Amino acid sequence: MKGMFEDTIIAVSTPFGSGGLGIVRLSGRKSLSIAKKIFKPKKNKAKIRPLRPILGNLYHLGRKEFFEEAYLIYFPQPRTYTREDMVEISCHGSPVILEEAVRLGIKAGARHANPGEFTLRAYLKGRIDMLQATAINDIIQASSYKQAKISFDQLEGSLSRKISSIRSQIIHLLSQIEASIEFPDEGLRISIKQIAKTIKDAVLSVKKLIESFNLGKTLAEGLTLVIAGRTNVGKSTLFNSLLEKERAIVTPYPGTTRDYLRESIKIGDSLFTLIDTAGMGRPIHPVEKEGIKRGKNLASQADGILLLFDASQKETPEDLRLIKKFKDKKTIFLFNKIDLPQKMKKVKVQNEKKSWSALEISALKGTNIDDLKEMIHDLFVPNQKQEEEVVLHLRQKLILEDISNCLTEAQRLLEGGYPEEVYSEEIRKSIPLIGQLTGEIRTDDIIEDIFSRFCVGK
Amino acid sequence: MNSTEEYDVLVIGAGHAGCEAACATSTMGLKTCLVTIHLETVAQMSCNPAIGGLAKGHLVREIDALGGLMGLLADETGIQFRLLNRSRGGAVQAPRAQSDKALYRLTMKNWLEKVPNLTLFQGIVTEILIKNNKTFGVMTLEGNRLLSNTVILTPGTFLKGVIHMGLHSYSAGRANEPASVELAENLKKIGLKTFRLKTGTPMRLHKDTIDWRQFKPQPGDEKPIPFSFRTQRKLENKIVCYIGYTNQKTHEVIRNNLNKSPLYSGKITGIGIRYCPSIEDKVVKFPHHQRHQFFLEPEGLETAEIYVNGVSSSLPLEVQKEILRSIPGLDQAKMFRPAYGIEYDAVLPTQLYHTLETRHIKNLYLAGQINGTSGYEEAAAQGLMAGINAALKIKGGKPFLLNRHEAYIAVLIDDLITKGVEEPYRLFTSRAEYRLLLRIDNADKRLTPQGFKLGLIKEKDYEAYQKKQEKIKKAMHFLQQEKMINEKREKISLKDFLKKPEVQFKTVLEYKKFNERLSDEEIRHVESEVKYEGYIKKQGKEIARIRKIDGEKIPESTDFREIPGFTGEVIEKLAKARPKNIGEAKKIPGMTPAAVVNLHIYLKCQRGKNHKK
Repeated sequence: MKGMFEDTIIAVSTPFGSGGLGIVRLSGRKSLSIAKKIFKPKKNKAKIRPLRPILGNLYHLGRKEFFEEAYLIYFPQPRTYTREDMVEISCHGSPVILEEAVRLGIKAGARHANPGEFTLRAYLKGRIDMLQATAINDIIQASSYKQAKISFDQLEGSLSRKISSIRSQIIHLLSQIEASIEFPDEGLRISIKQIAKTIKDAVLSVKKLIESFNLGKTLAEGLTLVIAGRTNVGKSTLFNSLLEKERAIVTPYPGTTRDYLRESIKIGDSLFTLIDTAGMGRPIHPVEKEGIKRGKNLASQADGILLLFDASQKETPEDLRLIKKFKDKKTIFLFNKIDLPQKMKKVKVQNEKKSWSALEISALKGTNIDDLKEMIHDLFVPNQKQEEEVVLHLRQKLILEDISNCLTEAQRLLEGGYPEEVYSEEIRKSIPLIGQLTGEIRTDDIIEDIFSRFCVGK
Repeated sequence: MNSTEEYDVLVIGAGHAGCEAACATSTMGLKTCLVTIHLETVAQMSCNPAIGGLAKGHLVREIDALGGLMGLLADETGIQFRLLNRSRGGAVQAPRAQSDKALYRLTMKNWLEKVPNLTLFQGIVTEILIKNNKTFGVMTLEGNRLLSNTVILTPGTFLKGVIHMGLHSYSAGRANEPASVELAENLKKIGLKTFRLKTGTPMRLHKDTIDWRQFKPQPGDEKPIPFSFRTQRKLENKIVCYIGYTNQKTHEVIRNNLNKSPLYSGKITGIGIRYCPSIEDKVVKFPHHQRHQFFLEPEGLETAEIYVNGVSSSLPLEVQKEILRSIPGLDQAKMFRPAYGIEYDAVLPTQLYHTLETRHIKNLYLAGQINGTSGYEEAAAQGLMAGINAALKIKGGKPFLLNRHEAYIAVLIDDLITKGVEEPYRLFTSRAEYRLLLRIDNADKRLTPQGFKLGLIKEKDYEAYQKKQEKIKKAMHFLQQEKMINEKREKISLKDFLKKPEVQFKTVLEYKKFNERLSDEEIRHVESEVKYEGYIKKQGKEIARIRKIDGEKIPESTDFREIPGFTGEVIEKLAKARPKNIGEAKKIPGMTPAAVVNLHIYLKCQRGKNHKK
């Protein structure tokens, strides 16, 4: 079996849900070098030594700001679970953060492990003995089928229906093509146009599903919150206050923030990208103008808006215009500077958009900032059930992308004038992939898939 | 006193499986006796007068590449030839030919009579002689003992065959030939599990009573393509087939008479073939179809009999006549032989090894319809493999086993043995995982060297094969090396140019001269190799990966009850199918992936233990 696994795999190895601690595991020759790309020790000169936990931060590739503190342990081969080099990164148990760490690892060159692939590697390298085999047997019997089943059930009813419908669409198409190949004298041929249309429909359905996963909370990337408001209402102060550090330069002068700033913050278990935009008042400087334009773009793409008002001043037409501008967004009214005498008619402002929540804060003094975090959490973090769906989503999405690739390739071949037996080969490939998605048991595949009934990364 | 004769191999049944088996063992140097109930019907085509078609034509090519008879015989006795799916790519093209049935039969008998080491013998076998779970010969109805340590059983539909026509039925192996009732009972007695299958055959009509103007002709190919790589002579089309359709009136007749069908009245209990349904099946299962297609196929040159392909039936004669009357052009047709259904015993093929030897009884091999298949080609392929493996076992050689990516023959046998059958099994190209690799144009490349090694391919044929491969190699080199400028003004190899779907080899030659002349057969091979190249490479890698894991052996001594966590059902399945390796274990129907993992882990641990000892 030597040389069978050339690549390095990564996966979350702790069960789903928000446990206190989560572990992301890497296994393979490049485990350490990949880990080094996304993890930097806190102490600049600290070296990663075998079997020694080391504290550090996880970084987005090429970005300077870190998004999570983590411990890293390096286990050199062969005395590891898989008998390969392994790295374990322990961080906060939020599924969001764990998935994000996996995503970083993939960007840095690892491959998402198939379910049970760690165990497969361990097994193939002779790592498992009889005792463990029995234990594993229990795992298989007890949880693996359930797992696959759960993962499918966890998809919303409509989603599972969609996958089933894509499956029957593809199988139906394939059986038509195959029948016309096997029985050429029976006049069963269907038109290329019809085949092309069916494939196109299937590709569209798959792509839609991929998108819906992306939308259905791209929690792996974190939700984007934009702090908006006219100039000098204290946006950067709030930004710093939420981050609990001085990141934005704050001055008493309007228009200090000329471009936007972006930071990742963790609220509860969830990861957010917080963006501080330039104030949306009348620009004086061309640079500021550009900054405002960018800020507006970001705001329109954001998942949520923190709309900030200076409550120590009377509401301005600009304030009211902003309320209108964000009327379709999930927004929170934030009345800032409550440490100063209040001049704004807050009730009146709030009546402009009654469905939004509102909070009085002082960004400068830190008043109600914790309440704000709680409010953000309640408003934007999906409930537990949805969260579990999200945990599964990266793998499911990858499979869906594979299916989409097969079908798109079939489409390309069809359009390129290739004969049925060639493009049907691509369509044929997509069926076991759908099986992986629905947790259907496949008997005619390689042993790696047999292991797919294990818990991820066990 | 009755006679006793001794042979190395006995083959029981001289149908398509039996003839291949006997020819193989005797060619491999073993003294063989081919026993048949009726010497006039050696290699009888009991049903349609045609060989080949999709997957079946592939099988014939493979049989031929290994040195079997069917391809040569189909070419020799063919009276119309067509290459199916010409508009598609090489992987799904297959030859089909109408044969002269009588000529097929006579030629086969004639050939077999000339095979050294082979004796043909007429007799009805009633018993397989067994001692200590090992066969040592057979007993005939006449009381003669034929002794041999190896028996290949190929009885077709004869095992307890019952012919049905309407609610009337009688015992027969084929119309007017006696069934093998004693043998069927004997097989049960020796412990083989059997089950009932059903198939059927349509009526034969008199050529001169058909109004041919009512039907659309279906001629043969302008340039017929032979089945056999060894056929040199030019093939000729001598007949034309015709296409016709049933109509609403026909369907009404059938619907009104379903109570007289043994199938629908519950008289037939055997499981029918879905892939070749009777006309009453078609009418019942597809009520919305306005018409069903059928083909009028001559049974030979020296006979007026016309086979009505697509109208097999077990309805009574009167209803069959009424069906004919409902179809313009057949309304005046006179029937030579009515259609009938036949029920017969088959043996559950999961009781066999991949060599087709039974697991229960040593040196007893089964091939053909007895294993639950349908079709001459499926039978012949099994016969050849049973013959080869029986001969190898006698000679002390290793079994000759093919993998699913190497031949359709392997797909067929592997499906039978690991999946079993529930209805008559027919091969389809889509049953193969690697369809683009298993082509008619490369069957020789895949199998002929092995056929030569086995001694089934003659020296001179092997030389011709090698010459062909040399030529193909040169052509591939030429395509790879020679460059051209395409319409985008890029310099590309001729090979890349040929990869385009619309480009043919002859188009390439318009750009560059190639100083060898390739035959059409060779051109088809080169085109397929080039056009499928990407897939061939990809699949090659995949195969290598799977083979590694699948190849891990399961010792015969494995006691599945010892494996922790197995349910009774899984243990039973494993014990029944007795997989030889992980690959086979995976293919047992109903085996869960978890169970396979379990097995794999257990074996690994056992091996570890043994190693330590």
